[in-house]
Amino acid sequence: MSTTNAVNGGENAGTTATAFGISYAITALFNVLLVIVKENIPGFQDGMVAITGHHWVTHGLTDIVVFVVLGIILSRTSVAKMPVSSLINYIVASTVVSGLLLVGYFTVA
Amino acid sequence: MSKELILMMHPTFGVLALIAAVWTFVATLNASDANVGRIRTAGVLTAVLVWLAYIIGGYFYVLYYGADKAIILQGPWKYSHSFFMETKEHAFFMLLMLATFLAIAVQANIARLAAARRLVLYTSGLVVLMIFAMEGAGAMISMGVKVALLAKQAS
Repeated sequence: MSTTNAVNGGENAGTTATAFGISYAITALFNVLLVIVKENIPGFQDGMVAITGHHWVTHGLTDIVVFVVLGIILSRTSVAKMPVSSLINYIVASTVVSGLLLVGYFTVA
Repeated sequence: MSKELILMMHPTFGVLALIAAVWTFVATLNASDANVGRIRTAGVLTAVLVWLAYIIGGYFYVLYYGADKAIILQGPWKYSHSFFMETKEHAFFMLLMLATFLAIAVQANIARLAAARRLVLYTSGLVVLMIFAMEGAGAMISMGVKVALLAKQAS
């Protein structure tokens, strides 16, 4: 596990934690995008069903794979040196926006 | 094991995960060299319990929820499926990843590094709020089944 240090004018929470934090923020939004696509394109959802037998199982596995792969990739880039204040902003904003998009979508769907 | 017991294990692991996440949050507020090991344990335990809730809930959802869904859609609280279940089943993926991230974030030296401490505080706080939302949505779904059966009995 990497250590925490000061970079770019702000303290960093560690390369691995920062990379997976950004990965979470991106994957949470990707999760909503996947909901909208599969709910509006019947053929897409059929394809997800064909992979595991249930669209929800495929959806979850896709999110997990994206989260892990993105986290590993980002941990090898300079993005993982982001200050913790920015990382927290991205995590909170992504959670709130993704949550509101899901609520909004299923309110009108 | 009956499907009802399987279903009840889902919110049970959810509540245990909630307790573990609150434990992580409170212990992090008082982080020191003495409790940094317990914070790691609490953070990892939160993730393990959320994963158990996901696997057991997912097992029930895939194999048995169809019957409950049919009952709900014949009753007066159709939105307990069309809104609460649909939102919950997809928002749960966010909770799953955030709880997994919490297990990663607590590996830093929280006692000595303010940045890591802040990150764990925000993450565990969000996990607590998301589990509350999941438990509330689950209650609405259960009530949707109940009011549908009551309406059927009354008619």
